Formats: sequence, C-alpha cells, structure tokens
Amino acid sequence: MLNKTGVPTLEDIQTVSPSEERLKKGPVAIIECFQEIPCNPCTEACKQGAIRPMEDINNLPKLDLDKCNGCGVCLSRCPGLAIFIVDASYSDTEAIVRIPYEYYPVPQVGEKVVGLNRAGDELGTFEVSKVQSGGQKNKTYTIWLIVPQSLAMEVRGLRLRSTEIQPKETIVCRCEDITLGEIQALIKEGYSTIDEIKRAARAGMGPCQGRTCRMLIAQELAKFYSIPVGEVLMPTFRPTVKPVKLGTYAGGE
Amino acid sequence: MRITEHPILEFQRGEEVTFFFEGQELKGFEGETIAAALHAAGIKVLGHSPNMHRPRGLFCAIGNCSSCLMVVNGEPNIRICVEKLKPGMRVETQQGKGCLK
Repeated sequence: MLNKTGVPTLEDIQTVSPSEERLKKGPVAIIECFQEIPCNPCTEACKQGAIRPMEDINNLPKLDLDKCNGCGVCLSRCPGLAIFIVDASYSDTEAIVRIPYEYYPVPQVGEKVVGLNRAGDELGTFEVSKVQSGGQKNKTYTIWLIVPQSLAMEVRGLRLRSTEIQPKETIVCRCEDITLGEIQALIKEGYSTIDEIKRAARAGMGPCQGRTCRMLIAQELAKFYSIPVGEVLMPTFRPTVKPVKLGTYAGGE
Repeated sequence: MRITEHPILEFQRGEEVTFFFEGQELKGFEGETIAAALHAAGIKVLGHSPNMHRPRGLFCAIGNCSSCLMVVNGEPNIRICVEKLKPGMRVETQQGKGCLK
C-alpha cells in the first residue's frame, strides 16, 4: 500500500508505535521507516545505543524504547525525514511533536502553523514551541509543535499557512490550459479513465505528453471513486518517452 | 534574484558570462541553466500558454513539463530549464508551437 499511495497504513504505524505508557514517560523517537533500503545514518547517530546497529544495511532500524531518551539526533540525521520525536508528557492535554523541516522561511517560536498528517491533509493550527538548527554539518531544522494529545501520533508535517484550492483557477494540464474545474466536471459526467479524459479535453496531448497532468488527473479519479491512486488505469505509454529532435531520426545529428 | 542561502544546498557558480534575451544584454554564470540566469535577471515570464495565452513561468524545472520552451540561437522548443548557459547565447520568447527554419 505504501508503494502505491506514499502514505503508511495504520498497520505500518502500529509496528513502530510505542505503548501509551511509554509515550507518557517522556520524549521518544518514532521511526516511520517502512522500506528496506540501504541506509543507516540513524544507527550511527544514536549515542544512547537505542537504535541498534544493523546486521544488513537494508534492514529497517530497530529502536530500544527503554534506551531512547528522545534526544532527537537521529531525527535531523535521517535523509528520508522519517523520524519524529513525540513527547506526551508535556501536559495533560497537549503533547510535543518534533518534525524535521528543510525549507525557508523557518517558522519562528510562538508562530502558529498548519499541522499536516502523513497524507498531507490539514489537521489544524498549532503553536511552534522551539526551533532547532541542525548545525553546519547537518542543516535539517527540527520544529517543535504543541499539539493536542489525541493528535500526537497524527501530526507529521507542517505548512506555514493554509491553502485553499480554487478549481477554476488551478491549472492541471499546463500544455493545453485545462483547469481542475474542467477535469472535475468531466469526471462528474462519467469519464472514468485518464485516456477518456485525454480524448475529451486533450489533457496530456501537449508537448509534455502528460508528465505534469497524468498523476494529477489520476488523483482526482482516485478521490472521486475512493480508490488508491495506484489502481487508476494508466493511459497507454508509447515511444518516444522524452523529447527527441527530428534531426536525430533523420540521422543529421 | 538569486538564492544565496539554503538550509541544505551549497552553490558553486561558473564564470560570469554575457548572453542576450530579446536582444537585451544580460549577465549569468556559465554552467547554470538558461532559466536560472533569466530568473536572476528578473525575467519570469518565459512564454504564453497556447490557448488562453496566459503567462507561463518556470514550473517543474527538471525538463518534464515543457512550460519553459523558448527559442535559443534560432532553434525553437528548447527546454531552458535543463539547457546550460553558454557565452553569447541568444534567447527569445517563442510564439505558439515555434517555427522551424
């Protein structure tokens, strides 16, 4: 599922969630790393010996919840930005979630920012309680957010301000000037695949050959039919897959 | 405008060179993309969309989206977001789908 949606499932999350009891004890790392890839900076980063050395570099990291003191060194060292620190001992009603951040401007202490879940949906506005620089070597910032206890295992990203999409203004296919509103209208009319929409609206037939709009239309179809994006029928792919000069075929260059 | 500070990236620029946008002389750094040099010079409208003629700027910046097609040294449909800047280059806005001579 993660492969198709880019969003870990509830079962994935459960495999790395500490017990309520452990969360209440104080800050702890949540390592949301679910793909076996050759990567081990977190094991090198942990000075507590909580992230054990890997036998095989492709292994998923294993965290010793008793040894982890939530220092956050691994958080800023993870190239995949997959590690978060949750401190549910902050107060009875609120918790701190520490999130890696690699954009400018960096939010300021006291600023209210929009918290996002793993799928990027907005969960509300939360206050920044601390901002840590990763330093010269590492650079990734750590942003501390104060969130309600119930959202401590949900808030995993942040955006400086809320964004509202205007379907009539939002262009989906840039080559042919087709807006989100037009695509949504076609889907409502019953056009149910990318190919059908392409034939009706020309979305995907411009110079970029659908590289921009294909997945955006797939997302809209997935939303409308409540299916994972990976299950939306793809259009037929034919050569050439990238722009090639006529001269190349003619043998002139 | 150029980014001089970034939390993660470092910038290594080539030698300063001269190029032309619609006949106007501009400066850029050799080895950066034409799009980067134009942006640094404050030129953000790279063309216009084919049907509604809305201004088009840089979008994907990796050679995917074809938003930045321009005429370079007389050759149309050049993706300037991936084409490197060379001294003396002549860059022009493209009308419609471009014209082969």
